[in-house]
Amino acid sequence: MTVTSSTLETKSSYPEPRYFGREKSRTTSDKIFSGTVIVSALSSLFVLTGILVYLSTNSLPIIIDQGISFITGSNWSNIEGEESFQIFPMLYGTLFNAIIALVIAVPISVFLALFIVFLAPKVISRVLVIVIDVLAAIPSGIIGLWGFLVFTPVAANWGELLNKYLGFIPVFANDQGQYARSPFIAGWILAIMIIPIITVVSREVLAQTPQELIDASRGLGGSLSGAIRMVALPYARGGIIGGVMLGLGRALGETIAVFFVLNLIFDVNFYQILIPEGGNIASMIVAKFGEATPNEINALLGAGLVLFVMTLIVNLIANAIVKRSTRERLS
Amino acid sequence: MSTTLERETSQIQPERPWAKQNKSTLVANLIAVIIPTTLLAILFFVTEIPGPVLVVAFFFPVQLLTAGVTTFFDRGKRGIGDAVLSVACVTSFGLVLALLGSVVFSVIARGLNTLSFSFVSQNNIYISPTTEISYGGVGHAILGTFLVVFIALIIAVPLGIASAIYITDIRGRAAGFVRFMVQAMSGVPSIVAGLFIFAAVILTDVVGFSAIAGGLAYAILMLPTVARTAEEVLKLVPKDVRDAAVALGSSRARVTLLIVIPTAKTGLITAVVLGIARVVGETAPLLLTTSNANNTNLNPFTNPVATIPVYIFQFLGTGYETSINRAWGAALVLLLIVSILFALTRLISRKKREKQ
Repeated sequence: MTVTSSTLETKSSYPEPRYFGREKSRTTSDKIFSGTVIVSALSSLFVLTGILVYLSTNSLPIIIDQGISFITGSNWSNIEGEESFQIFPMLYGTLFNAIIALVIAVPISVFLALFIVFLAPKVISRVLVIVIDVLAAIPSGIIGLWGFLVFTPVAANWGELLNKYLGFIPVFANDQGQYARSPFIAGWILAIMIIPIITVVSREVLAQTPQELIDASRGLGGSLSGAIRMVALPYARGGIIGGVMLGLGRALGETIAVFFVLNLIFDVNFYQILIPEGGNIASMIVAKFGEATPNEINALLGAGLVLFVMTLIVNLIANAIVKRSTRERLS
Repeated sequence: MSTTLERETSQIQPERPWAKQNKSTLVANLIAVIIPTTLLAILFFVTEIPGPVLVVAFFFPVQLLTAGVTTFFDRGKRGIGDAVLSVACVTSFGLVLALLGSVVFSVIARGLNTLSFSFVSQNNIYISPTTEISYGGVGHAILGTFLVVFIALIIAVPLGIASAIYITDIRGRAAGFVRFMVQAMSGVPSIVAGLFIFAAVILTDVVGFSAIAGGLAYAILMLPTVARTAEEVLKLVPKDVRDAAVALGSSRARVTLLIVIPTAKTGLITAVVLGIARVVGETAPLLLTTSNANNTNLNPFTNPVATIPVYIFQFLGTGYETSINRAWGAALVLLLIVSILFALTRLISRKKREKQ
């Protein structure tokens, strides 16, 4: 009995190794599996296109009717015959509130991140990390409730003091005598909600600063603040800017917390942060939605479209910045 | 040669003499803490200026000044920067702690007055904004919230985990694109998610205001959180485990379903819990999709359903004292649910660490 080469070959043949990666799967179950996963993985694409398609098709007649003044005009009326849907005060107010929030939140968040990474003893920095996590986990509805009932009286008081002593600066001017429901308060509420985002991102990039560079700076006789200013901050700049943009994206889209603490007025308030006049697209949608006419609903969908495009752009820029700064560090 | 050198040098820990605290630094720090606080205490008890004003207008400048002066005598000109930095850091820390403390304390203190067994078990039928607090409650809203979140889970968890599997296991041509889309989706404002579902499902008369519409809106917000966390978790499954399964002749589907997912089980549960925590307090999308109800409605397909966030919204809007108390009570219930979820993630990750 001789073993022919052909039987040997068949006996010793083993299943071809299947590599992960771009190679096509062979069995039916694999095909079904990959197909299902690919379709599900593209769900985010479907949702994003769906948002664009549904919001724009519904609001297109209104936007065409209003023309460019949909985003540049300041007149909103749902009375039949004299309908007019223009969102400029809300659009401007959204950006204005977000900028106030950033002015408050950015320094606080960066100092918190520096405190966690460089200054605080281990125990305190661990506590602080938990505090930031908890703050991030508090629902916006609760922040709104607290902001309306607890924070507003306190902040209005501070607004009055600011006006009393710094009222000669146009930004702090207020000739209405009312200090509640102002952009100043809305800015603080938004700041509370974005501090966790900016702090977490800044902390992560700051923690990646090479210890050798810090040591070198200290070893040359530099102070800790000098090392942070000359080494850590330049090193983490990209990541911090990315975190700030992520916070900005969140601040632009926040609805309910702002709804309770801001007076929505269809009249642009360009710079006075202490008067009770402001605007916010998301809050306006909630405020108008309940008793809206069919045309008005479509206009609100258009306002939502503007908000969506705005936050999408901000978030994409933010993610690109964060990604680039981490890639630079890895290479 | 170079590698051995690296290994040797990396074993030597640098001394970092600047990290050592000598006596003069300690004394300087003590003085910098004691002087401003004593002055603050004296002014607080002697004058009638309100405390918070005193802290901002008097304590901070004095604190900065003393810290600057003491560090100047201790470390010279360069110390001043350090003093400013540490005062700024501690101030930010104190501020955030005070804000969080105020939020949590007010919810607990004011919510506890309202919280009772009847409050969490009864619904809101025949309750007007001025009805006594002992009648009616958030029971229907708790059930409604669970229903909406459950629907969102059924939709978002498979899709989110599939997105993560596509990126980490299948690694298809579009992996980068999928990750990009998930990131873009995580920035969708909650109100826009609500508007989208309203326009796509309710305006087109597929269903009315209902739990399923709310669940769809929540799923949009939940999906990116689940996908991103699941991706991080699946990345941690060692390549060896996958290779071993492939070497034994498993198909790709079997490797993922029977090897990778069970290995990453605890992490995936964390992803799900984080997804729930992300959406559970969102009010805006529900206002546009589930609307509100006073009765208990467990049918997900028809009729509006109540949820805790919308309950808070409803009673806060009326302005009466009893209804504001109801809002605080509901906020406490919501906070309890969120803290249970939060504790759950901590517990899961701790258990996992113990195992390793």
